[in-house]
Amino acid sequence: MRLDHNSAPLRLARFAGRRAAGGLIVVALLAGALLAAACGRPPAGNGPVTLVFKHAKILGPTDPVADLLRKFEASHPGVRVKSESLPWTTDEQHQYYVVNMEGGGTPAFDVLMLDVIWVPEFARAGWLLDLTDHVPRAELAAHFRSAVEAATFRGRVWALPWIMNVGLLYYRKDLLDKYGLRPPETYEELVGQVHRIRVGERDVGLDGFLWQGKQYEGLVVNALEALWANGTSLLDGDGRLFPDPARAEEALADLRMLIATGVSPPWVTAADEELTRRAFGNGRAVFLRNWPYVLDLLQQPESPVRGRIGIAALPRHAHGIGGAGSTGGAHLGVHRQTRHPELAAALVRFLTSEEAQRTMAGGVALNPTRTALYRDPALLPSHPGFPEIYRLTLAGRPRPVTPYYLMLSATLQPELSAVIVGIKSPRDMVRQSRARVAHMLRDLK
Amino acid sequence: MRSERAVKPGRGGDHRTALLFLAPALTVLAVVTVYPAIWLFWLSLQQRIPVFGIARFAGLEHYQFLAVDARFWNAFRVTAVFAAASVALELALGLLAALALRAQRRGRRLAISLLLLAWALPAVVTAKLFEWLYHPTAGLVNYAIGGRQLNWLGDPGLALPGLIVADVWRTMPFVALLCYARLLGVPPEIYEAAQVDGAGRLAMLTRITLPLLRRVLLIALLFRTLDALRAFDLMFVLTGGGPAGTTETLTVYAYRTLFQTLQLGFGSAISVIVFLTVMAIAWVYLRALERDEAAA
Repeated sequence: MRLDHNSAPLRLARFAGRRAAGGLIVVALLAGALLAAACGRPPAGNGPVTLVFKHAKILGPTDPVADLLRKFEASHPGVRVKSESLPWTTDEQHQYYVVNMEGGGTPAFDVLMLDVIWVPEFARAGWLLDLTDHVPRAELAAHFRSAVEAATFRGRVWALPWIMNVGLLYYRKDLLDKYGLRPPETYEELVGQVHRIRVGERDVGLDGFLWQGKQYEGLVVNALEALWANGTSLLDGDGRLFPDPARAEEALADLRMLIATGVSPPWVTAADEELTRRAFGNGRAVFLRNWPYVLDLLQQPESPVRGRIGIAALPRHAHGIGGAGSTGGAHLGVHRQTRHPELAAALVRFLTSEEAQRTMAGGVALNPTRTALYRDPALLPSHPGFPEIYRLTLAGRPRPVTPYYLMLSATLQPELSAVIVGIKSPRDMVRQSRARVAHMLRDLK
Repeated sequence: MRSERAVKPGRGGDHRTALLFLAPALTVLAVVTVYPAIWLFWLSLQQRIPVFGIARFAGLEHYQFLAVDARFWNAFRVTAVFAAASVALELALGLLAALALRAQRRGRRLAISLLLLAWALPAVVTAKLFEWLYHPTAGLVNYAIGGRQLNWLGDPGLALPGLIVADVWRTMPFVALLCYARLLGVPPEIYEAAQVDGAGRLAMLTRITLPLLRRVLLIALLFRTLDALRAFDLMFVLTGGGPAGTTETLTVYAYRTLFQTLQLGFGSAISVIVFLTVMAIAWVYLRALERDEAAA
């Protein structure tokens, strides 16, 4: 799992070493934490104030973050913002934060970038500053609702949305047009279209529908989308897992069927975003489920499918009323122990402001969380897909907003994988997962 | 071959001097291994999830759960299969490679460099390499076996064998070089004498070479088994323990509980089991080595 395994800022980090393994890094992290704790930071005096902003490395042709921070410093004389990068993968980032924030003490940073699924966990642990009174309601309303919901825990707001992500259906427009087809609204239609196009093209190497089935966070996201598409969810309001087992089993059985019937190639059971993106990008598949970052890459001049693709909402299953993509992305929060809560909150508000998000979107093709930017005249020429992405993001749903999300996901990953490779029935999976999760959470409720 | 036995403690004064000289090493060992081990065991008796502020004594609760935890027993089985298969293959192939190296007249340096290359690569790089080799449509492995689309990393029956092959590729050179070094130390006269006595090639291999390599092989076995029992990087990068947990080793399971979900108590219990298993096997090997030494 990388930063939400989807957030665009890290997409350029999708090369070797990104999931670099545990041991050494853990040691390095702990050593780093010790050092940081030992050195601490100079006591605050009347001298210039330094804010430390901890964030995932944002790679690209330009570094919009550095420019934005200089701008913030210019408007706040006497304040210096130090920007510090986090380790590559989300697991390591999560670990870094936990090691640093657990047990209080002098904070090593003031403002932090968080994966959206960590916000409730950190808020419950008491590590984040309650931002509710620092941000006017109207300012929150300017962001996607699902993003604000994901940052809201026990009725308070703990982080501000910064980067937006949503699951989309990519399709080969040229192929669909050739056979007079419209993007599928149901999985039944999708399966029919795949058969029709494959028969017509007489191309055995052309795959149907690609998605992410490797045993990792991405599989949980794909499974969640299947559940929503069948009119149910993973957790209901009372925190019950698989509230509608019949529909859940049906949705999971459908995922398995996609592979068993050859609509999806067998290798999706080991596929992550990049593996599926490359295959689709080489013109080897009709449909793909992926995040918005793929759109930019597919429209590059050297892309074999440039100008031949479209995006649509994910299809629905038999009992669903419509498909919804899972939302994700990054938020900005403030360390509870910061010595400059006002300034830190101001920095968060500045970085999530419309102006800053416009700069980010223009510089490194990160999708903003502010809805107005999706019809911004300055951005539309370079981002023709924005209106469509906006519509699809609106329909998106956050993953369960619960402090236990990581535990839930880690418990479900092997279970879901067992279903899609066909060695466990959806019924057994649902039953066993419920028992397992109940055991894991026995002390937490 | 005689081995140097440990200096026998003589009079009390010598004994004390010996202890004094050993003290720094023992202190360091105590601080970096004994203390963490005890702490780990203590932690495994707690239910500790710092993010949620949970800290209570749990006794043997975690061990009781592990006894009936299907995921744990699966990880145990995966670890055992992985260790047995990869170590057996590594020893067999490493031995063959060492013999081939010795028999070679030219290009030994090149061969050794090539062997070292695989051994020197970090496991994560090896994993990335194999990710491409095993690529379902563009991978060299599938191409080499006649263009069949085997789902190496996504098929529950193929993923573990795939990882074993990657591990063998990576660590076989270690065994090969150990054996080769030992072979270099064998005086050629022994073989000449054997030849004079009319020994065939097979007899020379089984009566001279293998007995001479016995101890080096035992040491390689010890190192490789302990490493394989703690295997982590390859599965973590290549499969994440999937599909369906078929490549989830005990250390991957421990990592997921300890560092991903931060269940410190439960994760420690898994680590304690890994620790005890490794210690037990190391003890058996060390006894075998000792016996060997005594017999020599």
